[in-house]
Order: sequence, then structure tokens, then C-alpha cells
Amino acid sequence: MSLNKRYKRWVQVTILIAIFIVGGFTLADNLFSDDSIPKEGSKAPEFSLPGLDDQQYQLSNYKGKIVVANFWGTYCPPCVSEMPLIQNYYEKYKDKNVQFLAINENDPLVSIKAFIRQYKLTLPVVLDKDVVRREYGVMNYPTTVFINENGKIEMIYEGEMDEPFLSSTLADMTSN
Amino acid sequence: MLHNTKCECGHQNPVGTVLCESCGKPLDDEFGTAPLEMRYDGIARRSQRENPALIDRVWRFFSSVKVAIILIFLTLCASIMGTIYPQENTFLNVDPSVYYEATYGFSGKLYYLLGLSDTYGSWWYKLLLIMIGSSLIICSLDRVLPLYRALSKQQIRKHMSFLVRQRVVYQGQLPATGITAVSFIDGLVPLLKKRGYRVHSDGTALLAEKHRFSRWGPYINHIGLIIFLLAVLMRGLPGWSMDQYTGFLEGVPTQIENTPYYLENEKFTVEYYTEEELPEEFRGQGRAVPKLFQTKAILYECTADCSSDKPDLKQVHQQNIEVNKPLKYKDLLAYQFDFRQTIQIRAVNVSLTDKMSNQTYGPFELNTITPDETYVEGPYVLTLKDYYPEFALNDKGVPFTNSKSPLAPAFIFVIQGPGLAEDGEVFIYFPRDVDKQRFSQDKLNAGIVDKIDIGVGSMQDVSISRFTSYLNIRTDRALPYIFFGGIIFMIGVIMGIYWQHRRIWIRIDDENEITIGAHTSKNWFGIRKELSVILGKAGIVVEPKQLENGVKQA
Amino acid sequence: MSLEQWSENALLLAFILYNISFIVYVIAIAGKKWSNRDPIVHVRRWGRVAVTMTVIGLASQITYFITRWLAAGHVPTSNMFEFMTFLSMAIVAAFIILFWIYRLSALGLFAMPVSIILISYAAVFPKEVQPLIPALKSYWLYIHVTTAALGESFFAIGFAAGLMYLLRTIDYTSKTKESRKDSRGIEFTLYAIIVVIGFVLVSNGFKSTDYSAEFTQEVQQKDEQSGQLVPVTKTTVYTLPAFVQPANSKVVHMDSFLGMDQPLLSAPSWMKGIDSGKKLNTVIWSLLSGLILYWILRLIVRRPLGAIIQKTMGGIDADDLDEISYRAIAIGYPIFALGALIFAMIWAHEAWGRFWGWDPKETWALITFLFYTVYLHLRLSRGWQGNKSSWLSVLGFIVVMFTLIGVNLIVAGLHSYAGV
Repeated sequence: MSLNKRYKRWVQVTILIAIFIVGGFTLADNLFSDDSIPKEGSKAPEFSLPGLDDQQYQLSNYKGKIVVANFWGTYCPPCVSEMPLIQNYYEKYKDKNVQFLAINENDPLVSIKAFIRQYKLTLPVVLDKDVVRREYGVMNYPTTVFINENGKIEMIYEGEMDEPFLSSTLADMTSN
Repeated sequence: MLHNTKCECGHQNPVGTVLCESCGKPLDDEFGTAPLEMRYDGIARRSQRENPALIDRVWRFFSSVKVAIILIFLTLCASIMGTIYPQENTFLNVDPSVYYEATYGFSGKLYYLLGLSDTYGSWWYKLLLIMIGSSLIICSLDRVLPLYRALSKQQIRKHMSFLVRQRVVYQGQLPATGITAVSFIDGLVPLLKKRGYRVHSDGTALLAEKHRFSRWGPYINHIGLIIFLLAVLMRGLPGWSMDQYTGFLEGVPTQIENTPYYLENEKFTVEYYTEEELPEEFRGQGRAVPKLFQTKAILYECTADCSSDKPDLKQVHQQNIEVNKPLKYKDLLAYQFDFRQTIQIRAVNVSLTDKMSNQTYGPFELNTITPDETYVEGPYVLTLKDYYPEFALNDKGVPFTNSKSPLAPAFIFVIQGPGLAEDGEVFIYFPRDVDKQRFSQDKLNAGIVDKIDIGVGSMQDVSISRFTSYLNIRTDRALPYIFFGGIIFMIGVIMGIYWQHRRIWIRIDDENEITIGAHTSKNWFGIRKELSVILGKAGIVVEPKQLENGVKQA
Repeated sequence: MSLEQWSENALLLAFILYNISFIVYVIAIAGKKWSNRDPIVHVRRWGRVAVTMTVIGLASQITYFITRWLAAGHVPTSNMFEFMTFLSMAIVAAFIILFWIYRLSALGLFAMPVSIILISYAAVFPKEVQPLIPALKSYWLYIHVTTAALGESFFAIGFAAGLMYLLRTIDYTSKTKESRKDSRGIEFTLYAIIVVIGFVLVSNGFKSTDYSAEFTQEVQQKDEQSGQLVPVTKTTVYTLPAFVQPANSKVVHMDSFLGMDQPLLSAPSWMKGIDSGKKLNTVIWSLLSGLILYWILRLIVRRPLGAIIQKTMGGIDADDLDEISYRAIAIGYPIFALGALIFAMIWAHEAWGRFWGWDPKETWALITFLFYTVYLHLRLSRGWQGNKSSWLSVLGFIVVMFTLIGVNLIVAGLHSYAGV
């Protein structure tokens, strides 16, 4: 009788623990999973994209650096018009711990190369096919994401940047 | 405090037993006359122990049918709340925190703030389902084992008060003198067997039982539901389910994200009913009723160079996708969802003509999605310097592309070869005649236009994509388990509802006094009728209604 | 005569037979107290006539169903007219099955009206055989729809028997709170039935006079080509006089009705769904005409309608009604679960690749299922019988009807994503 009773208790405990684990896992997944798009202040999603120079550009390699990721395309006039400014600041901040990445979305290779020649770009251009764009929740071009030294998103800017904005943002970020 | 749980028949019952497991005598209400509560045959359920510890309290909570009903009812109410306004997942690209207030005013704002805008994905809805699942497991376990024990050790001769307190009761004398108790019982056995009963008798007492399996129905359907709920949970595991919405331009193999597969929409067809096929009321209104949406699809698997512009593809499957006829390949499913007419040039097969010698070279293909950079045709080398999918000029006369769709493609070549400058001459080529005129191709190419021309022979050299077909690409590996759970559930429900567990107990005392008690898990009308027919054949005439406990016997 | 005409005539014949059989049920039940007769013999004789007529009516409706199937080339359950006539046919079939088990012809007194009202309701919708759009070309769809309707038809019989139980057992002489509450509940249920009758009468009445009113509305619509929102002028034609015009709309023309040639009100602007103004107007018409009909009846009989019906029901065993109500629901429950949930999931999987999408209609099917699950648990495990159980069976059928009609009319009607 007492053996039987102990066996039953063992069954009860097992079942309750199983329910607790399965249920807890489901609820935790629901409460803490973050499939929403990243916001300012959240961790920048990792990516690794091929560059035009056949190198891989991986975000985590720039830990300790400020990363300015600009989502663009040749089919987007404001992207085109802000590109000289970005190129300018890329040169300016090259040695100041700031990494610029121009993330191109879906342009034919030929068009990108022609664009680079035309605008004499030297900043790294990497190629994405909507994968990283979706992860970052970018809906409009251009969008520029500023990532700080700790890999956190400091600011997301939609639309064409002007010089005062870019300079003050970078100044703020580098002074911290 | 310990009760004496030993019955007068000598059987030792567990604490919490209502009716003696052996003879059926009511233990706690010995002198009552009301019909007995026969659920689970009066056995002690596991949760009903004394001195409950915490674990027993939790167990007892979930083992209560009342709690289960409340949980189902709460889920019902929550589900209703979720249908008041459309849920967040019915929109794409809408910010719910703004949308609900903007559309429905204050009540919309409240709806959003209460989390009802995502009722079915919310933690509390899932918590309700988890609690229902727990209740299903614990309720069933708590009852099925004791019930099994009780039903497998039934005594034939039951206590008198057990019989007369059933809901179906008959008391009377043997129908005719000269029949002994034993021969009356023996006479009943074939009558009961004919109606599907299994009969056990010990001379002057009898137990007839049928369709006991229907008692397991509820537990089987609960198992089915548990499998179903677990399968639904499994969909949350990585790789178990996928759901994406992708557009496929005719003739362009497009990668299905996060998979090695490429799908090509070889040809999209949309058909409408003709006027003759429509009912009269519809005719002449210009109403287009669609008849068919079909994507002629080819599925490829990438074997090498997968991240490049020119991956190595191997055809693995081919199928026409229609609404209600999805493409199926291994775990991958593709459903026809939508289409858009998008007339654009996908490729042109052009030839290069040397106007001086009238020699023609080619044809060679210019792809408008991923054009190659160099083309070698005869003595000529063409280098694609720039390419604009939808060519346009801005207000300063600088060329740019309006979009990434090849709606008005422009190819800018540097051509090297005989009769041309050493480092090449620029040739701008517009495949569409209308663009040639609009941007005056010949003027732009002045200088080279007398020497070289690039063009197509006929319209057959132009590949045109007319449609983009939008497909839902899905994987749901939990599906077989989900349907398996559903089938088990149905089997259990049907077992439990379409059959009833019926038992008839008969005992004859003092060689003349018949006492009959009968019990069924449901459908009392049926068992009364059945018992009345059986008794009628044995010589006892009694109307079904009179067998009901409490109805006066004539 | 074409197949389609055959089909139409067969349905008409079935409708007439159902009506006659209903009258015979009334004679069978109410006439047992007439003089010079043995009540039991009277009920048995007239009950047999009534059931025979019902069976012939059912055969005629099955003829309608098969001939229409042949004429259309697909199972005729693909629009509201076809679905409602199918449901009414299933209800008669379910009634015959329960009659066969319990031999209680009095059940026809309530089962037939439910079926008759549904056929009249169906007649409000366009009757033409329509060509199938691609989404409806699926065997699973028809298996799902017909099985679900079959399950619902048993719930309808459960409702009829439950309502009969309540009418049979409510004590109209008692002044206790309980019986007053029951009495009010019964009146409300009867009013709800009369609202449907009112809707049918009003719709068919104005249809025969060719009433029309037309409104135009500026709405934002997504353009197929550009994907941009563009303003579109939408025209809504009312077939009932407009108390309420669509939100932000202009009157193009409006036939005068009893001197009313302008709408009285405009629908609230948050009602953006397809035809939501029109639906609101229809709901107002139904409630109003139901109210008028109800009060006319009340003025004629000068007591609660339930009390007058109760008079005819003496001698019917209340416990039998209770059990029939439960039994019908118990028979319907597995069929409904199979048709409305499992087959629906299979179809949804075949059509969209998601076996469940929380669309309002399928959520309401789940709600119906949960409701009857509660009903069965309360009855089988908690011993809810008689009064409480009957109220649940009545409420359950209201949930069923809301799922079939109300979701289209109210919940979905307020939203732009739902079709009609």
C-alpha cells in the first residue's frame, strides 16, 4: 500500500513538472521572444554580407567601433543625392573608429559598379537581397542605422540626411 | 481523523469512496432514498485524499471538472472578445498602437491597450490553453485508473439499497408460480445476450453489461486533444513551421528565403468566365468572374554558388499551382495567393550589326534582371558600363533609374572592335521602341550609329514577363500530428457518445422477490425501453416509463 | 422544362408540404382536446399524417438538391441561398431521425417552423446558379460545409426540443423571480424568431414592389497597379427604404416610402466595412418589423406568447423532451466537430496552407464547439438537466445562428476585410 502510494506521488510529480516545463517554455517564448523589428536602444541584429570587393562584412567584427549602415539603391533618388555626403564623412571618420557600410538592396551589379565609378565612392558597398533589410524592419529608402560601440542601435534615421544632422550625430556618438 | 472505510460485505475501500467498490452499498449516506450518484461508480478519485500537501492542492485544482468547465468557458469568452475588431495579424504594415484608436476611437484604443488586438497570440490566451491541457491530463488520469479498477472487479450480487436507488428500478414478483428463481434467471440470459449484453450470473443474481468501451471514449478524446495541443506547441520549434509571402516574376527563378530552393513561375494564367458561362443576371455588366488562377511552377534546388547572382540550379519538381491545389515537395508547400499584371521585358536576344560590312553577329541575350558585364561577338567586345532598369533623366539631365523593375531598360555599352576607337565607343541601347523614340537613341549614339547597330530581329527575340504570381510558401511539419490528434479525438468522441455503457443488475430474494436496478452512462429513455422489452419477453409486463425510479408502478 | 426549373419547383413543393405538415402537427397536438375523441388515438393518427407529409416534403427537397447539383455541376452549397436551403433540409432530416428514435410527433411542431423560416430566409438571397470562383473549387470545402450543416441541424432539433421543454414546464401562474425570468427569456427567444420572420417578410415584400434607393460614397481603395490608396466613388443600392444611409454618402435617388424620401440618419463613420450602412439599415428594419409583429400578436392573445403556446402542450412528457434535446445535441456534437473544425482545417490547409487562421467565422465555429463542450460537461459530469440544460440548448442555437448569419452581418460587416 505504501509502495503503491509512493509510486502515485512519483507519477503526479512527473506530470506536474512536465506541464510546468512545457507550459513555462511556451509562455516564456511568447513573452520574451522578440521577433519584432529592432528599435533604437535594442541590440543590432547580426549580419554578414558580401562586399563588391568579394570580402565578407560581418557586423560583429566591428565590435568597439561605431557602425553607420546605410540602406540604399540606385533607384532611390534621395539615396543617390545623399551618397556624396556619406562618402565625405566616410573619409573624414575613417581613422576615428567609425565604420560606414552602404548596404545596397537588389541593384544589378553593373548598375552599382557604374554608380560607384560615377560618384567616385571608396566606402565599402555590400550587397543584400532584402534579407538584412527585413531583419532591420527597413521599409523606406534611404534608412540609416547608427550602431554604437556596444552593438546597440543608437539611432534609426529614415530619409535623406543633411550635413548638420550627420555631423552632430557622429560627433555625439564619438564623444561618448 | 480516520473513517472506517470497511464495508459490511468485508471489502476495504480507499478513503473517499462513495459506494462500496464491491457490493455497491452507499457508504456515506446509508439510509437515503434518492437515486445514487453513479459517476465513476462511486470510487475514490486520486485527488480526494486527506491532509493535502501543495502538490495535492494543485492536482486537485486541475482534476476538478468544474474548473475544467470554467476554463473552457473563459476560453470561449476570450475567443469572442477577439472577434470584436480585426486582429493585428490581418494587416500588413500597420502600426497597431495608432491604427485601432484612429479607426475605432476610444473603444479601439481600449481594445489595443487590453491586448485584445492580438488575443490569440497573447500570453494569457496561451495560458488558458495550457491550463486546459493540464486539466485534460489530470482530470483523465484521476478518473480513468480508478474507474478501470472498479469496472474490472464488479460483484454480481449488489447490495439491495444500491439496486433500489438506481434511476431505473423494478421490484416485483416472479411472473408465474412454478418458476424457480434460478430458472427465471437462466431464461433471461439468452434474451439479454441477444441484445448484446455480456451476462454473468450466480444462480439467483445476475449482472448484464454491454458497451463498456464507451466509458473510455472521453479519455481517448482527451488524449487526442492533448496530442493536438502538443502538436500545436511543436509548431513553435525552430524549423517546424515557415510562412512567407513572395512574388515570382514570370521566367525568373527566385530563391525561397532560408531554403536551398528556387522557384520559377514559368507561366502564369488567369482565366475569366465567358459571357455564355455566366448566369443571365450577370451578363452585360462587365463583371469579370475569375475561373482559374494557375502558376506553372518549376522548383529547383541550388547545388553550388548559392549566394551568387548565378547559382547552379537543379530541377527537382514541376507542378501547376492552382487555388486549392498547392505545390507539394517534401516539406515545402506553395499556395497560389495573388497575382499582378506586371508587363516588363525579362530578356532580349539581340544581334550586333556592322553597318559597314553588313555583317551580323549574335544573337546574344541581354538579361534585364542580372545582366552580364561583357559580351564577345565576332570581332567585337561589348562591355556593359551601366544599366538602368527604368531609365529616366532628372531635371539636370542626369540619367537615373525610377525603379528596380525593368519597365524601360537602358543598356550603356562600350564597344571595342574593328572600325571603332581604340578604347571603345559608347552605345546606348533601349530595347523598347517607345524608349528609343522618347530618349532619341540615335541622337545619343551619334558618331557610332552609322557604324554599329544593336537590335532584335522580331518580337520573338523579346522575352516578356506579363505577370508576377504571389505565392504563400509554407512548411508545417507538425501537421500530421495535428491531424492525428484530431482523428483520435473524433474516435474518442464517437465511442463515448454514440454508444452507452449499460448495466442491469438483478437479484431474487426469498425465491420470489425480484429486484432490478439498471444504469447507463447516458440515454435513459433507451435503457428503459430495452429493459421493458426484455422483461416483457420474460413474462413481466411493464411500461418503460414505470421503470423510472420515483414513477409509481401500476 | 429545364433541370433548373425542375429543381426550383421541387423546392417550392417541399416548402408547401412543410407548411401543410406544420398545420397538421398543430391539429395533431392542439386538437386532442376537441370533443368526441380519444386524445391518444387522435395524436397518433394525425401525427402519422403529419410525419408522412414531412417525409414527402423531404423527398421533394432532396430532389431539388440533386437536380440543382446536376444543373450546376457542383454541390449546391456555395452561396447563402444554397447553404440555407441545405441547412433547412438537414434539419428536417435530423427531425425525422429523432422522430424515428423517440416517436414523438409533437417535436414537429417546433422543428418544422425552424426549417420553414430558414427556407424563407434563403429566398431573400439571389437564387441563380453561380459559376465557381477558384477558391470554391475544392471537394473538401463541400465536405466541410455539408458536414458542419448536418451537425448544426441536430443542434437545431436540440433547440426545438429544449424550447418545448421550457414552454412545457414554465409555470405562468407562479410569481416567483425564477419563473418570471424564465418567462421573459422565452418571450425574448420568441421575439428573436419573429425578428427573422419580420426580416423575411420585409425583404420579400419590398423585393416584389421593386423598391430601390441609391447612394454614392467616396472611399479610399487600394489600386491594383500602383498599390496606392486612391479615392473611388462607390455606389450602394438599397432594396429596403433607408432609415440609415451609408456613412458620408450622397443620395442619388430614393423611392418614397410612406412619405419618407430622405434617409433619417447616417451610419457612423467608423463603419467602414463593405455595405455596412446597408446592413445596419437591414438590421434596423428586422428589429422594428419583429417588434411590430410581436406586439400585434400580443394584442391579439393578450398574454405572453409562451403562455398561449403552452396551452397546446399538455400531456407531452417533459423528461422525454429534455432527453430528446440532449440526445439531438449529443448526436450533432461529433458531426459538428468533424465538419466545422477538422474538415475545415483540412480545407483551410489545402486552400491556404494554414489549418487555422483565426478568421471571425472559424473562431465562431470554435466558440460554438466550446459552448456545446461546456453543455455536455455540465450535463454529463455536473448533472445539469431539465431547465438549465434546456436554456443552454436554446442559447447554443443562438450561437450557431450568430456564426452562420450574425458574423457576416455584424462582426465582419464592420470590417473592410470581410466579404459578404
